[in-house]
Amino acid sequence: MSEELRLSPIETRGVAGKRRFAMVVDTRRCIGCMACQVACKAEYDTPLGVNRTWVPYKVVGKYPTVRRQFLPRLCNHCDDAPCVRNCPVEATFKVEDGGFILQRYERCIGCRSCMAACPYNARFMLPSHRTYTPITNVVDKCTFCFHRVTQNLVPACVQTCIGRSRVFGDINDPNSEVSYLVATNPTQVLRPEEGTKPHVFYIGADRNATEFGRDAYHPPEVMEQERSAFKRNFKI
Amino acid sequence: MGEYVWFHDVSWHASYAIYFFVIGILAGLSFMSYGSWITPALRPLREKAAYGSLALMAVGGLLLIADLSQPLRFLNVLNPAYLSFTSPLAWGSLNIAAFGVASVLYIMALRKGDEVRGKQLAFVTALLALGLPIYTGYDLSVHQSRPMWNTPIMPVLFVALATASGSAVGSLMAGANEATQRVLREYMLWSTGAVGVILVSILGTTNYGGAASELTFVIMTTGTMGLIFIGFGLLAGTAAPVALLLVAHWREQQSGLMLASVLILVGSAALRYALLMGPQQLQTLY
Repeated sequence: MSEELRLSPIETRGVAGKRRFAMVVDTRRCIGCMACQVACKAEYDTPLGVNRTWVPYKVVGKYPTVRRQFLPRLCNHCDDAPCVRNCPVEATFKVEDGGFILQRYERCIGCRSCMAACPYNARFMLPSHRTYTPITNVVDKCTFCFHRVTQNLVPACVQTCIGRSRVFGDINDPNSEVSYLVATNPTQVLRPEEGTKPHVFYIGADRNATEFGRDAYHPPEVMEQERSAFKRNFKI
Repeated sequence: MGEYVWFHDVSWHASYAIYFFVIGILAGLSFMSYGSWITPALRPLREKAAYGSLALMAVGGLLLIADLSQPLRFLNVLNPAYLSFTSPLAWGSLNIAAFGVASVLYIMALRKGDEVRGKQLAFVTALLALGLPIYTGYDLSVHQSRPMWNTPIMPVLFVALATASGSAVGSLMAGANEATQRVLREYMLWSTGAVGVILVSILGTTNYGGAASELTFVIMTTGTMGLIFIGFGLLAGTAAPVALLLVAHWREQQSGLMLASVLILVGSAALRYALLMGPQQLQTLY
């Protein structure tokens, strides 16, 4: 993006001398093994009932030629993140070098403004009891594995992805794999109309997969029962 | 059929709607107390409204703090080193704190019988009270990804709701005082009418929006949420009181006025609940 077209001073994509990490998810390669979800859970001891990354699917096609269209999801580490703007105490912030959107747990007051602001449901409230860590009752989210990336490792979900569906790198570096993939493939981001400038790019996902489904008009009764059971179980 | 979605929880729960309701009434009462310096008919409400407003501020403040998952960290919002002015919540917390201080000073002036300072502080208190429904509405409207919330008219709606519910409580406090009731009837009629017009326009534009707006319209107008929003909020809490207030005007009926006040309070509580919870439902499916 040229300097003339830049609207928000917080954006770091295309800024010379700054890194801007991004993830490309090639949905054609995703087999729905959920290994990314498990790797993330193992990396962060994410509690039951909440996820930093998750893999929903839709069944598409017409019988007998049907298939599952997976859409791995995570925080989009937006260039113009509404959660950062909405946090009253700057507990949520953007790391300028890399574009990570991170959370200061010790400062979060738990007002859930960031959760309401996020168009991607990427944020969640941690429960009040956890076994291995004192971090409780604050909002949590995917960090793009900041601690791994700063050690020149890729995020845990990328490391474990057996189909190489997830690719991670610096999109400001013209020689990176993510730059190449975004430049040479038609890509889609989630809810571009929100103006958040997300940095998770999908290859092979179309609007039918990324927009609210028609099923939302008539949610199956069984789904509502499961939702109620889930809420009862986790007291939410 | 054939979709797997992860279950997400709504961000803000019903306790936040109670806070909206309480803060609306306290703002409205503060308007009434200031109004008593301008309109002599409202004089009997001056002290009652000021005390009521301060008491509700204490309740509302506690509700807001209790709603945080880290209640003891509420002081972070008042810490200048942490404060982020891009967040409406930051402005809101400063507004509430300033309103509390101004309210206490105003009541002290009332107790001393200091007319000059009392009028000045009543003005300051009412001005800060105006900021409360504006910030609560703004708190919703900044969430541009949420249909119904993402309209700039939301703060105006909350000011109208505050005036309507504050006047309704004032009317219940005023009892059989005819001169006061006549003024409050006008306030209730016009503010409730404004609420109705704004709600219809919000509903209309929501229905003509994109997929998310269209689905939110369906959620808001059908099922339990439809009963709360359309049934209790729009019909019983807005249309019925307007009709009753018009009839009461023609026939000078005291009972009609009382019933209208109660309906306005029921309606404004239902509307705040539906406006808060309804637009969050769809997001849980994404």
